[in-house]
Amino acid sequence: MSDPLQAAMKVAASGLDAQSTRLRIVSENMANAQSTGATPGSDPYRRKVVDFSSVLDRQTGATEVSVERIATDPSDFTTVYDPSNPAADAKGMVKMPNVNMITEMADMREANRSYEANLQTIKQARDLVSMTIDLLRS
Amino acid sequence: MIDALQSLSALSTARGLGVSALDTTTSSDAASAAGGAGAATGTSFADTLGNMASGMVGDLRNAEKVSFQGLQGQASTRQVVDAVMTAQQSLQTALAIRDKIVSAYLDISRMTI
Repeated sequence: MSDPLQAAMKVAASGLDAQSTRLRIVSENMANAQSTGATPGSDPYRRKVVDFSSVLDRQTGATEVSVERIATDPSDFTTVYDPSNPAADAKGMVKMPNVNMITEMADMREANRSYEANLQTIKQARDLVSMTIDLLRS
Repeated sequence: MIDALQSLSALSTARGLGVSALDTTTSSDAASAAGGAGAATGTSFADTLGNMASGMVGDLRNAEKVSFQGLQGQASTRQVVDAVMTAQQSLQTALAIRDKIVSAYLDISRMTI
């Protein structure tokens, strides 16, 4: 039998890992929001999204979270008129990445909040363990 | 950690503690202490304490190792904090139990004969 408090901390730790991966993907999307292709008419950077999935940890019997895969967003690219760009086609149109800054901001906030929630779970479980050990004192 | 406490309390309620077993665990290394009174059935009190002590030392070693890996950039911050927190908790448990044993020993030594 494993300790439920230890299992709770392990699950929360897996949440921390998953959310930090999500934050990494958001930062990649934001950094590459202006990354166009190199040759005329070529595709620019395509937005990435993370897929989470629940996995059973056999040792503790708890359900943890993990990053299933990092997929790409299939939505259309936007085009802007910029004939001086090396990626411009014959009409002078350049394909820009399908990254929306507002969406990325919202995603980043959500990752942040989830991370904080998991941190609070760890803190609470830790406090409970400490309080239980304190029973031995006094 | 809680498992260790549970097994310990189960042991102490199941049988009376021999003073000789208590004496060897507090004075020597606890891991090498021969099980004193009532060691015939299952694990003895000294064995349990020895397991706890070696587990605690293992946790501390692991925390140190992961900390160095974190400094070298091979482990994430989360892993370092996790390992150090585990070590801290097992050290707390071991200290609380040691305090309990010492106070019990002092109680016995102060007993009027």
